[in-house]
Amino acid sequence: MKVLKRCGLVDTANKAKKKTPKLDNEEEKPQTSEAPNQDHGVSDIHKDMKRLKLKKSVKKLKMKKSAKKLEGEVAEGTQQTNSNMLTNQEAENPGVVESDSSEDEVAPRNTIGDVPLKWYEDEEHIGYDITGKKITKQAKKDMLEHYIANADNSKNWRTFYDPYNDEEVELTKQEAKLVLRRLRGKTPHADADPYAPYVDFFEWPDAIHPLSSAPEPKRRFALSKSESKKVVALVRAIRNGNLKLDKPKEEPSIYLLWGDDSSSTGKAEHGLSNIPAPKPKLPGHEESYNPSIEYIPTQEEINSYQLMYEEDRPTFIPKRFESLRSVPAYDKALKESFDRCLDLYLCPRTRKKRINIDPESLKPKLPSRKDLKPYPSRCYLEYKGHEGAVMSISTEISGQWLASGSTDGTVRVWEIETGRCLKIWRVEEAVHCVAWNPVPDLPILAVSVGHDVLLLNSGLGSEEQQEKMKELLLFAVTPDNSEHSIINWLPYEKDEGIRLKHPKTVTSVEWHRRGDYLSTVMPCDILDEIIYYIVLLTVCTRNIPFKLHGLPVSSVFHPSRSIFFIATKKAIRVYDLLKEKLVRKLEPNVREVSSIAIHPSGDNVIVGSREGKLCWFDMDLSSQPYKKLQCHPKDITDVAFHRSYPLFASCSDDCTSYVFHGMVYSDLNQNPLIVPLEILRGHSSSNGRGVMDCTFHPKQPWLFTAGADSVIKLYCN
Amino acid sequence: MASNGDITAEDENSRRVQVRFITKLQSPLKVSLSSIAIPSNLTRRGLSALVNSIIQAGDSDWEPIPFDFLIHNELIRMSLEEFLIAKEISAEKTLEIEYIQAVVPRKEEGPLPHPDWMSAVSGAYPGFILSGCCDSSGRIWNSDGMCTHILEGHSNAITSVSIINPKVSGSGAKIRLATASKDRTLRLWEVDINEPVVPDTKVRAFKILRGHKSAVQSVAARPSGDMVCSGSWDCTINLWGTNESDAEDESIKKRKLNNNAEKSQTEGEVISELVGHKECVSSVCWPQHETIYSASWDHYVRRWDVETGTDSYNVACGKALNCLDVGGEGSALIAAGGSDPVLRIWDPRKPGTSAPIFQFSSHASWITSCKWHDKSWFHLLSSSYDGKIMLWDLRTAWPVSVLESHNDKVLCADWWKDDSVISGGADSKLCISSGISVL
Repeated sequence: MKVLKRCGLVDTANKAKKKTPKLDNEEEKPQTSEAPNQDHGVSDIHKDMKRLKLKKSVKKLKMKKSAKKLEGEVAEGTQQTNSNMLTNQEAENPGVVESDSSEDEVAPRNTIGDVPLKWYEDEEHIGYDITGKKITKQAKKDMLEHYIANADNSKNWRTFYDPYNDEEVELTKQEAKLVLRRLRGKTPHADADPYAPYVDFFEWPDAIHPLSSAPEPKRRFALSKSESKKVVALVRAIRNGNLKLDKPKEEPSIYLLWGDDSSSTGKAEHGLSNIPAPKPKLPGHEESYNPSIEYIPTQEEINSYQLMYEEDRPTFIPKRFESLRSVPAYDKALKESFDRCLDLYLCPRTRKKRINIDPESLKPKLPSRKDLKPYPSRCYLEYKGHEGAVMSISTEISGQWLASGSTDGTVRVWEIETGRCLKIWRVEEAVHCVAWNPVPDLPILAVSVGHDVLLLNSGLGSEEQQEKMKELLLFAVTPDNSEHSIINWLPYEKDEGIRLKHPKTVTSVEWHRRGDYLSTVMPCDILDEIIYYIVLLTVCTRNIPFKLHGLPVSSVFHPSRSIFFIATKKAIRVYDLLKEKLVRKLEPNVREVSSIAIHPSGDNVIVGSREGKLCWFDMDLSSQPYKKLQCHPKDITDVAFHRSYPLFASCSDDCTSYVFHGMVYSDLNQNPLIVPLEILRGHSSSNGRGVMDCTFHPKQPWLFTAGADSVIKLYCN
Repeated sequence: MASNGDITAEDENSRRVQVRFITKLQSPLKVSLSSIAIPSNLTRRGLSALVNSIIQAGDSDWEPIPFDFLIHNELIRMSLEEFLIAKEISAEKTLEIEYIQAVVPRKEEGPLPHPDWMSAVSGAYPGFILSGCCDSSGRIWNSDGMCTHILEGHSNAITSVSIINPKVSGSGAKIRLATASKDRTLRLWEVDINEPVVPDTKVRAFKILRGHKSAVQSVAARPSGDMVCSGSWDCTINLWGTNESDAEDESIKKRKLNNNAEKSQTEGEVISELVGHKECVSSVCWPQHETIYSASWDHYVRRWDVETGTDSYNVACGKALNCLDVGGEGSALIAAGGSDPVLRIWDPRKPGTSAPIFQFSSHASWITSCKWHDKSWFHLLSSSYDGKIMLWDLRTAWPVSVLESHNDKVLCADWWKDDSVISGGADSKLCISSGISVL
């Protein structure tokens, strides 16, 4: 650049020439022949300047005065660099002998470069020569010596001191002249012509005409109206604040250098789910050509790979090589890259919404069975003696005795504790149902046999109780036994007791909690079934003409209120006994109801069905079942509640009985808790029937089950 | 020692332990105190053969008997090596092995037939066996297996029998018996032991105790013999006096018997009633003068103070209890069994815990009776509905011996004469297994 600048200095004279109009070109054309000379001059100057460049410090010193003047010129000169360059090129074209090479240049002795010289002020050397040796300073002349030299030497005015090389430099006459001319503001060389004619470097045949004669279009100089309108609108919008200029986006100054590119969650939010391709496993130590000894499998391990499944087998077996050179071509390379491509190709590239739910969490939170002890779980006692299927069992309220009725035509009373059979009645017909009177003082047994219901004296109470029972049971046929009653009260001939003769087969008999009333169920195929309910103590029959739509199956008294439940095959009908009308209807929505039991609190009813479903009704909730449990694969034959423990059970023809925890809370906001506890097995099937009846011990958490295999089992906690 | 050489020849390659046999048994069973090296894989049987052979070496006409072995007061029930590992006993030192005679019956005496289920038995008096039967009569059998007396009078099955004064002796002394029955009464009987033996002598009760509202399940007599207590289905424990004529003479109804008016029957009244159980009191026990223990179907064992009539200790086990006995160490341990196959033993002297200190669960069904041995601190028996009677030693968790003489439910069992077990069950037989050397 400096060189160019100096050229500029040299060519400042051309400035005027440049400004001459192009039209002059023709006139000056003839002068072009002189140009080579002139150009020589220029190249000379150029050479000089090159030399001068070596002595720039000298120039600095000497040209200080004219520095200001020069600076202005430099500014102009730089603008014209291009043209100067052109002239330079032109100048060299004719075949200049002198080259630009540095042959004639004196190489600088000092090699410290363009560094401040004061760094070496205090040193003994001024720098280093090209071989790296120190150049020691010459002894300095004092002022007197200087003066004498000045006086002696006429050329002294042309010499100056070069601190860079630490030497006296003497300018030649030409050099001095050049400098002087520059100081005077003239071209450095006297023979340079600042007014040389302009030589156009480009000629064309019809140069007299402009390229186009079309007048300048208006759009070249006039502002566009529509654009100015747009600008005005934008300015207005900005002023009113309608247009908000975008703030320049801030580039995050900090970013994770090693961050994972795959976690492009930001994009996923906008609906663009970019799933990066799965990354291949990076090679580890074992893939090395010379892995550590621990990576190399032993022969045994390699043999054991053969026993593994194809999928589990390692694909790469590390091997050791002497050098990288001896590593053979990887035989699986093609296959692996194919597999990789296949992976990428087959990789699902859409994000699927998949709900991962732990199946365990879907299970209801049930308390553990251990916390719900006691409940019957193991059979310890068997009551054997019946010869036919035991159809029905009933426990006496004190928990001492168990009554059972069987198809072999016997009713037996067992001692629960020992399993001893205390009493046998032979009634000669299959017994359907037995029921103890719930009053402890009157251990009367009601037995339904064929068309009859027998009220039997168990003979188990004390003397006074015995007498009372005898009084009750030994009565003459009352006049009440008239034609409008369809039940005949007869004394039982074979044993002390009463025989109630029904027109139809009685399947179920149930005592009221006070032991005064007895209900019997006669399923018939006609519509107007009647449930009888009998006032025992005054020995009369009250027929409650309940209209039933469907065959009655079973009946049960409410434990505390005068409410009566009748289970028909389709529905449970709830009657108020005082008002003698239907109060409610429970719909279990099962195929055929087989049994019903009521919770001792009276608000919950369980219903067993022929298809093995168990329905729990909460009377406070609705007439639909609160819970439906599909537990048995076969018919449920009976269901039972425990009197005091929160237990209920169901038994089925599949020879099993299920025991459930059924906690009813006094807090009305809390729903009953039902937990299945235990499946009691042990009975064997007989004629397709399994367990016929189940009943809980009144005080202990024990369950009695009566099987069609003529055995009664007691399951204890 | 000669036998020592035999043993070493047998097992050359197994590990050996230095042992010394000690015993509290008397002289013919005693062996020298010198220590010997025996193979560590010997079991109880091997040890027993070893001791027998040692004794035989000193006494040539010795009949081998089974022995049981104790290390640190625990019975060996596996091989010696396993035992030492299980108990973490060092085999480096000389082991002291105590041997006792194995508690196994050596003789089964012929079953004595009953007309119905045998529901109660008592062997408290060494002279005879008292049995109660479901045909509502009690029987007394002498040691020859002959029924000497039949106690008639109950109208329902007898549930429990007790001998009121088993320690009485001397001429003219009469043994008093108490029976409880399902007919809601207790009857007290008197038997003259010095009478000449006449088979099947019918005896009438000298006192009938009425007062229970339901079947009486259990009866126990005070050690002094002046009172009995009874537990019943009416949830109470009643205390009764046993004297023939009580202070309140007016209340005693004298009733002449219809046919033979030799004896009069008095009726006793309840002296005191202990109320607290909520269900059937299935078993009572009166081991000390002022303390009654009771077990009930309401899962509780209670200790009653007779003087105040309150319960001073109770513990629940979660199962309906059928039987209870007090004995063992310091006559203070309570053993009880019930509606599950576990025989539990509590120590009421241990404060702050209601957990049983021992639980024996080898039975398969309900436990119907349990009895401590009179003299031993460690031995007790239990009978179960699974038809087995098991003899237990507190020093091991396995039954020492299992008697399978019955082929139906065993309803009652007791010790007799310290070396026999008597039992009765649903097969209507009274079985006697004798020759048990407990001490």
